[in-house]
Amino acid sequence: MKKHHNNPDSCTACTVCIANCPVTAATRKFRGPKMVGPTLERMRLSQDDIEPSLEYCSNCKNCDMSCPSGVPISTLNMLARAKYFKNRKRSLRDWILSHGEKMAKLSAATPGMANFGMKMSRGILKKIGISDKAPLPAYASKSFSKLFKNLKQTSYPDKVVFYPGCFINYNDPQVGMDFVAVMQANKLEVIVEEDFVCCGSPLVVNGFLDEAEENAKQNVQILKKWTDKGYPIITCCTSCGLMLKQEYQELFHIEGVAEYAKHLYDADEFLLDLHDQGRLNTNFGTLNEKYMYHAPCHLRAQGMGLPGVELLALIPGLDVQDADAGCCGISGNYGFKDDKYDISMEIGSGLFKAIKDSGRDTVVSECGTCRLQIGHGANVKTLHPLTLVRKSYEAYHK
Amino acid sequence: MREYDIVVIGGGLAGLMAAAAATKRGKKVTLLSLGSGTLTIGGGIVDVMGYLEGGIPAATPSAGLLQVGEGHPYKKIGRPAIEESIRFFKEICEQEGYSYIGNLDKTQWIPTAAGTLKPTCLVPKTMDTTELKKADKVTVLGFDALKDFYPSLIAKNFKKIPAFAQKEYEVVMVDPKLSEGRDVTALDVARWLDTEEGLASCIEKMRNVIDSGSVVIIPPVLGTRPDYAVKEKLEKALGCHFIETASVPPSITGLRLRTMLVRYLKKNGVRIVEQAIVAKSIVEDGKCVAVITEGVDRERTYYAKSFILANGGFYGGGLLAEPGKVIEPIFNLPVEAPTDHELWANYSLFSSEAQPFAKLGLDVDEKMRPLDANGKVLLNNVYVAGRNLRGYDFSFEKSGNGVAIASGYQAAMSV
Repeated sequence: MKKHHNNPDSCTACTVCIANCPVTAATRKFRGPKMVGPTLERMRLSQDDIEPSLEYCSNCKNCDMSCPSGVPISTLNMLARAKYFKNRKRSLRDWILSHGEKMAKLSAATPGMANFGMKMSRGILKKIGISDKAPLPAYASKSFSKLFKNLKQTSYPDKVVFYPGCFINYNDPQVGMDFVAVMQANKLEVIVEEDFVCCGSPLVVNGFLDEAEENAKQNVQILKKWTDKGYPIITCCTSCGLMLKQEYQELFHIEGVAEYAKHLYDADEFLLDLHDQGRLNTNFGTLNEKYMYHAPCHLRAQGMGLPGVELLALIPGLDVQDADAGCCGISGNYGFKDDKYDISMEIGSGLFKAIKDSGRDTVVSECGTCRLQIGHGANVKTLHPLTLVRKSYEAYHK
Repeated sequence: MREYDIVVIGGGLAGLMAAAAATKRGKKVTLLSLGSGTLTIGGGIVDVMGYLEGGIPAATPSAGLLQVGEGHPYKKIGRPAIEESIRFFKEICEQEGYSYIGNLDKTQWIPTAAGTLKPTCLVPKTMDTTELKKADKVTVLGFDALKDFYPSLIAKNFKKIPAFAQKEYEVVMVDPKLSEGRDVTALDVARWLDTEEGLASCIEKMRNVIDSGSVVIIPPVLGTRPDYAVKEKLEKALGCHFIETASVPPSITGLRLRTMLVRYLKKNGVRIVEQAIVAKSIVEDGKCVAVITEGVDRERTYYAKSFILANGGFYGGGLLAEPGKVIEPIFNLPVEAPTDHELWANYSLFSSEAQPFAKLGLDVDEKMRPLDANGKVLLNNVYVAGRNLRGYDFSFEKSGNGVAIASGYQAAMSV
């Protein structure tokens, strides 16, 4: 049963998705995944049907994960949203939130100024519908691609292609640098393509499906080129990963996705596979540290378990506890929206409480926006699992 | 290569119980699940054996067990293991603070939202009918705007049940003020009662319509969490007894049970992989070496010493129906079925006979290992549990969760 059959009639109306939808639990304004997804999709197939509460779906994919019949409910919602906006004007707010990459490129020349400007303009952003309380990410002083260009790697015959994604590239480049260091420690050379564009996830959730498809076409061509040559592709962002391997297949009809998807890996999973093959550098130094872990919904949706937890379990001394408290609520840019901020915080409240109750001051998670939301909601430090892997390798040599 | 002791395929009650029993035995377990199982659809109570062939109610679950036919899973499992499995299930519930009441020697007739009674064996304490049976006067409490729960219908239909006909019924309503937004389900009311403000507000509203000492029938709304906090707080504040009915999906009692079991497994180190579409297996010399999931991206291989197949029947995808044949897709195990598929169905909808298609499934030995048509074990380290077993129509005989618990337990104990 492959997952890219968008057939609403596979839904038996069993209601499991309703019980598992974090948005439904947080607000009564959302009519729920079953109704807004497959039930109304049957109507939408025959007529132009408008469901106002469609805007509340955050595309977190918990409905898809709970469905016993394999209906990609959230994708039906995203397609319906795109159809809705086909002949309607989009808000400036949605444009800005969907075009993080364009905004970042504009700001790239002077990120310091851009950050200063952003702080000053939170009032203006609030006026256009972006919450003044939401944890908007700051731009890094140097993007990942700049840092990477200046990095001297040791050349190895085995190479991997890294897809950094917008968040790592513009907001959190250190994760990308940690990734490169970990690959180098495993005698792998990292290739980064300048022509990669945003995976399109932020575009899709706001209904800019055509633009997302343009991005997809460009990425598919590059990804396919590298996997055809036998190089694996690796992401550190679970939403980018899900988009590139799964949502492209569900949303678009672009040749080649199924072929490269076979060789597209989450970084943690890739390292575990190396371990299975006896190839992982296991010179891990002891880290006598305690962390909480949060599993991003877009990782859980990928059917590979929690590779980050398994990977970190290889590091001696490290104590990582899975918070196991569901969605953090941010869902990409959902929680940045003024009218969704409270819903987003309500969704995350269980997770924030679990983290606070644990007494641990740092949370490990693969997803960049989950980390933002957790830092904001639980008032803790956050980091990517690979940062700890790198730290452990470095501890070994001390 | 990562190898586990046991890979359990399926995250429904059979799979969860198999994983629980295996981990209790100190085994290293991976559970591969797709979707969140059927517990949240209707599974908060444990039916063991409600009706015999011909639609005759079994005197007790125990008596029912004695009367099942040769091919029934209970016959393979045997009475001692069934008893142990029920004890083990109750032990987990107790330990997790959400204990179940009941035993094999007593049928519990519990009220449904239609005002009928349904036979079952184990129920959460929120469905204890002891006080209901004793009461001369019963209050049926509904919530404004809540769909699928009509107190006056319940009161009217209860009057038709001999044991309940002499009681006096009073119908009262509470307005949870949830009418804004979508249709109201029991889940919405239960979530309202999960919050401190909601509970306090509900207590105030209930005070106006029910007297202290009342026995109150309500829809399943006493919180979504697997504990009795909401029930106890309500009962203490109002001095009443509350009894939840069995109701339509989403099942709040099933949601609580699933939450509790998944939490138990994680606490005990079971590795759970969600969205795992198990498509095929690697078998060498009559032994399964690994099963393979087919993601939208690529295949992933899961190695183990033993495998428990608990991925459901036709509904869950564990069995596939094609004209004239039934396929078990992962191991290609044989399923005996009439080639004329017209014979699969009993076309009389409310008949006193089981559905033939419901009885189609995998034949197993007493250890739950799959058998061929000659009764020979096909795979030495594969064990079958739950809805894909042949020989029972859970819906007709009311035995679904009982078979799931007993067969899941037996599979894990046979490994």
